[in-house]
Amino acid sequence: MLHEITFTVNNDPYTIAVQSQQTLLKVLREQLGLTGTKIGCENGECGACTVLFDGEPVNSCLVLAAEADGHEIETVEGMSIGGDLHPLQKAFIEHNAVQCGFCTPGMLMSAKSLLIHNPQPNELEIREALAGNLCRCTGYVRIIEAIQDVAQNG
Amino acid sequence: MRKFDYYQPKDFAEAFELLLLPDKVVMPLAGATDIIPLARDGHIQPDVVVDIKSLPGMREIKATEKGLLVGAAVRMNEIASSPLVREHATVLAEGAATVGHVQVRNRATLGGNMCTASPAGDTFPALLVLEAEVLIRGVEGERSVPVLEFFKGPRRTALHKGELVVGVLLPKLDGAQGHYTKLSRRKVADLTLVGVAALAIPSEAGYVWRLALGAVAPTPVRVPAAEQILSQGYAAAAIEQAAVAAHAACSPIDDIRSSAEYRREMVVNITKRAIGKVIEKLP
Repeated sequence: MLHEITFTVNNDPYTIAVQSQQTLLKVLREQLGLTGTKIGCENGECGACTVLFDGEPVNSCLVLAAEADGHEIETVEGMSIGGDLHPLQKAFIEHNAVQCGFCTPGMLMSAKSLLIHNPQPNELEIREALAGNLCRCTGYVRIIEAIQDVAQNG
Repeated sequence: MRKFDYYQPKDFAEAFELLLLPDKVVMPLAGATDIIPLARDGHIQPDVVVDIKSLPGMREIKATEKGLLVGAAVRMNEIASSPLVREHATVLAEGAATVGHVQVRNRATLGGNMCTASPAGDTFPALLVLEAEVLIRGVEGERSVPVLEFFKGPRRTALHKGELVVGVLLPKLDGAQGHYTKLSRRKVADLTLVGVAALAIPSEAGYVWRLALGAVAPTPVRVPAAEQILSQGYAAAAIEQAAVAAHAACSPIDDIRSSAEYRREMVVNITKRAIGKVIEKLP
């Protein structure tokens, strides 16, 4: 069945019709054209689809779009402001924390949430915060260094 | 994904009307972290899903005279960080903090976890040692069952058709100290191989101990033999004996994550670790 949902994505208000069984992930990508959020395992294992739901990281593949009615969503497209990359995005580039790039949007969302809750995380805390984001290229070391850089130097 | 209809009732009357729709496969939905992958892969075929998160009381954590009430739709991260839960039932906060990973804990709920009834559920050993009462509501009214009687087997519970778990009541245990610890292949974000909750409750003669195991039997289990040993004293020899009793009480399976033999051996180690952590917390 169809639901009319009203929510914000990256502070932009939307009112759209979604099917009951559609996930937030599919609606973001296919109805709103926000393809920065990636489709990986669709099982809540890989974290490539991570978005912020009312400020908290969630797997958008495990949320029904209908559940997002009345809520605030942030995707990787919302990180840069006026064309300026977010400090985390800059640090990921500087530290070569991006190889194939598929995990990067999800990594950035998890990292952003971590630094909001815990501005000075230690390595273990970073690793725990990223436990739900798999990267098959980097070995994580450079991703962790990039996040530590932002935590220490802003 | 197969088509289904999603409803988000605001009151119980509407919820039960939906849950009892004739000729339809109707499933309650809380955090959706199990239902969505199961439905997508065809393991379940719901016609209707009923989102129970907006029902009264489902999202509440409340201290009452009888104990702490935790609503069924309270999320794992909310339980893990709740000052009330940390104060009254640390062991449950610890269990909730080890479920899945951050993203899953931000959606998955206590009630959903319980109704999924995976033998490896990380909140269950804590609920067992706390002797939680499971609060169940159906169209004919409310009932409660001791948590030990709630879990009937892998993915089977004491719920009847059309009933909902609305929450758990954690009886007051003044001065009790507990700990949940688990073993998994990866430190976080992996299914549990062995989970152990231990709890020591002050009594006239010292402490009454409770011990529960998860992931090593068809349901989470208490280990009365170990509890009796520890309640008579928790010196090193008693801890060894309690761990042996835990080893005897488990009945794990072989699967892709580990052999039954390994799980059984690790029950000994993880039990000792959990007891040791509780002893560290005792005054």
